[in-house]
Amino acid sequence: MVSGAIAREADAAGRGNFSMNMEDQLRETLRRRDPTVGFAERVAARAQSGHRAKPVRRLRGLWAASVLALAAAVVLTATSLWQRAQEERAGRQAVLALRIASEKLSQARSKVLWRTENQ
Amino acid sequence: MTFRTFTLLMVSFALAARSTAQIQINLDSLASKAKESVEITLDSSMLKMASNFLSSEKSDDAKVKSLITGLKAITVRSFKFAQEGQYRPGDLQPIRAQLRAPSWSKIVGVDDKDGRRTSEIYTKTDQGKIVGVAILSAEPKELSVVYIEGTIDLAGLANLGGNFGIPPISIPDQKKPKGKE
Amino acid sequence: MGSPEAFVDLVQRHQSMVFSMAYSFLQDRSAAEELAQDVFLELHRNLASLQSRLHVVNWLRRVTAHRAIDRQRKFRFLTPLVEIKREPVAPAVQHDPILTEVLGQMIASLPAKQRMVVILRFQEDLDVADIARTLDMPERRVRSYLHWSVALLREKLTRRGGGISL
Repeated sequence: MVSGAIAREADAAGRGNFSMNMEDQLRETLRRRDPTVGFAERVAARAQSGHRAKPVRRLRGLWAASVLALAAAVVLTATSLWQRAQEERAGRQAVLALRIASEKLSQARSKVLWRTENQ
Repeated sequence: MTFRTFTLLMVSFALAARSTAQIQINLDSLASKAKESVEITLDSSMLKMASNFLSSEKSDDAKVKSLITGLKAITVRSFKFAQEGQYRPGDLQPIRAQLRAPSWSKIVGVDDKDGRRTSEIYTKTDQGKIVGVAILSAEPKELSVVYIEGTIDLAGLANLGGNFGIPPISIPDQKKPKGKE
Repeated sequence: MGSPEAFVDLVQRHQSMVFSMAYSFLQDRSAAEELAQDVFLELHRNLASLQSRLHVVNWLRRVTAHRAIDRQRKFRFLTPLVEIKREPVAPAVQHDPILTEVLGQMIASLPAKQRMVVILRFQEDLDVADIARTLDMPERRVRSYLHWSVALLREKLTRRGGGISL
């Protein structure tokens, strides 16, 4: 039976390559990935602006405006971060969904090929 | 308008609505029995968000981004069970019934003699283009349904398995390729 | 290394390493980019004291590792972005995308220092001595953390596999 052959082969492969499979899987899981496009440029821009930054002088008359601006910036940043997190979640779900679809397509294809060759 | 004409119109509207309606997948009862489940539902707005996130610069992301362009929805329900017999073959019947609509065609149907392992692929076409894919996969301890609505590159989707370090699935009784590189 | 273009080149050369360490540790892309940015900004401030390319690489690994561990102490939460409910069953012989996701989350749930040891070993391919130098840790402890972490991950996966060993 097809199922028995696959199970025996999987079990033998697992026993014969106990530590290598785990190390391979860990390396695969921990493979390197890149940050978003433009990361290096953004870092360099921040580094340059940091060197040219001048001390901020607090003016009494602008204190409230500064606080409001800061609050607005925090809200905008939080919204932006939340949006980004939502986009990342959707992206990862899309990747996983298509991986599963691809895997099932491949399995169906393999079964068809096996049937064809064994008829 | 005569009553007969009205009835014919209503029937044709209903048929048209049925052929364009999304496939409904309701396997919620299996989640509580499954040892592991993956449930993903992405509509067009979430797919747009996903596309915003995925990078065109990285080849893996770019392939997925290209595949989801033009998609309206992706639904995945995948369950793995600790034991056999945790689901009934009939659990897929409501989904199969929807896939018997005129716009759908079954392009792959493979099952073993006792029906415990099945793989079915359905496609919906419109003017020669594939605008929907449904994949039903059943194993003794696993049940998976994937439904993709929208213009999809089926060959590109099948070849996605070569990325992300996933080697192509080999034919049973041949040696499987090791590693990812 | 005075010009902005030279610094951009330097960042591009090492961004994958720094970002990947941060991402594998935090499992959050935004937080990982933020941490990676901070590391490179600190690099920019300390460039004059670094003597060679190898020195830069070792310095980046060390600073990234310590910052990630410190950050974990401040923000003791981790939200997986894709929920894989319950525990997976028999791992497939070929690479399984669900298994990769689950293992990534298992790694992220390890205690901070053990997690970084695993990342330095299997992502950066460092040996025990290099890991010990990077983390300011005795080699004996690195070996112990590595052995314990891999055994724990293997045991979790094997237990869920119903008898099939990985």
